[in-house]
Amino acid sequence: MIVSQIFDMLDAGIVVLDRDLNVFKWNRWMSTHSKISAEEIVGKPLFDFYPELNKSWFLRNCKSVFTFGNFAFISQKLHKYCFPFKSYYNSLGYRFDFMQQSCTLGPLRNDSNEIQYIYITIQDVTEIVAYEQKLIEMNIKDGLTGVFNRRFFEPRLEEEFQRHRRYNRSLSLIMLDIDHFKHINDTYGHQAGDYILKSISLLVEKKIRNVDIFARYGGEEFCCLLPETSLDSAKVVAENIRKQISDETFHFKDKEIRLTLSQGVASLAKDIESAEALLKKADDALYAAKNTGRNKVVALQ
Amino acid sequence: MANETVEIFSDEEKDILQEIMNIAFGNATADLADVVDIYVKLSVPSVQVIEIGALPEYLRTTIKTDGTSNIIEQKFWGNFKGSGLLVFPGGTERDLMAILEDQDREDISNIQMAALEKGGLLEIGNILIGACVGKVSELLDTFVTYSPPQVLQGDTNNCNFLIEQFDPSQTAIVMKTLFNFKEKDINGFLLILTNHESIGWLRKALKNFMDSYE
Repeated sequence: MIVSQIFDMLDAGIVVLDRDLNVFKWNRWMSTHSKISAEEIVGKPLFDFYPELNKSWFLRNCKSVFTFGNFAFISQKLHKYCFPFKSYYNSLGYRFDFMQQSCTLGPLRNDSNEIQYIYITIQDVTEIVAYEQKLIEMNIKDGLTGVFNRRFFEPRLEEEFQRHRRYNRSLSLIMLDIDHFKHINDTYGHQAGDYILKSISLLVEKKIRNVDIFARYGGEEFCCLLPETSLDSAKVVAENIRKQISDETFHFKDKEIRLTLSQGVASLAKDIESAEALLKKADDALYAAKNTGRNKVVALQ
Repeated sequence: MANETVEIFSDEEKDILQEIMNIAFGNATADLADVVDIYVKLSVPSVQVIEIGALPEYLRTTIKTDGTSNIIEQKFWGNFKGSGLLVFPGGTERDLMAILEDQDREDISNIQMAALEKGGLLEIGNILIGACVGKVSELLDTFVTYSPPQVLQGDTNNCNFLIEQFDPSQTAIVMKTLFNFKEKDINGFLLILTNHESIGWLRKALKNFMDSYE
């Protein structure tokens, strides 16, 4: 049979299951990636080999195909993969524990049009996922420092502002600016400046929680949004960051560089009616910090 | 034109189709609960015969195309062929996700959430459209195959391609049913559109269906 040759030569997995979810067919692609030969698995329950598939989402899709004769599409976005196959993909700076898969389930009917089997096709989409992640990352992260960029930050600020105001929760914002950054660039060169921006980003990220959103707002100015955080707690966070940076000695090539940060802190309050107003208040606080000696935290009530 | 429409599909045939849909959707509801643990209530369906020319306006007014609806479209092929359209109001995505409650939700960022919600919409759409169309086909003693479902952005321009698949001189049968999920307060509706080509076959199938009761 000409058509049946495709079954083994296709660059995709094909599995056929009977109504009890025993394996009826297992193509060569499946053997290659699973390291389980057709001889070993055919006639045996799929779940003996892949107990992790014995979950409601997988059963729901199989049952729906058997019952309604429809197709089920198991997207990589929802499930990442069906069959845990090792991934050898390693490019664009990504490694995946398992091959990312996009799968389709459908009915197979016998001569009397009854659904006797279901098939599953498995497509390796790891490379596409890597490109997708890279694109997303490039879109939301600052290329130099790796922290979020302004494009990502602004809508998040708006979202968090609306959410916290609706539920009457506290939300704080810190604006950070490197003191005399121009001086660093002029004295040590722009590469040193870039190095400082990267180092400070790393240090600040270690001082904040996972839920906080830290972004490069522009130049040497950064923003940190702290959900569910009062003004007092935000001041403590900012003070910790200030101290850490002013205690640190940065080494670039054979040069030692010392520097400080000025920070402005603001929190959601009744008189703040928009995300922009919150940003403005934190910015005003930052200017107050700059104008009253730098290397300090100013919070505006 | 109106007279022609009646000739193509009589009131009696419309009633039979409505009855078939009623039974089919009843079966679909029962199977959805039994088989996939999705508890959904479907209203008594309505059947309308609409000229293609009037279809864009019908879709525009039926689907609130103000950009906030989630529309999932899936084509089906066979003797009985056409499109299923599932319409949910915007903002229900997360509740819909909860219906597929077994998802592995750890380490999901907001960016991934949007993709997940889309995946969830597709999964729900695929199951509901598949169940309803599948049960109608079963009663009409045929079976259909499907294209992958897709999420349409809720604006009218995107509905135009649905109309393009119809010959403008022809007639469409539109079956509409409202549904709501029992545990979640989500209401939406399902449209099944079938074109002229299916009508001849449908008449035969409806006749056979009635004959089996006589």
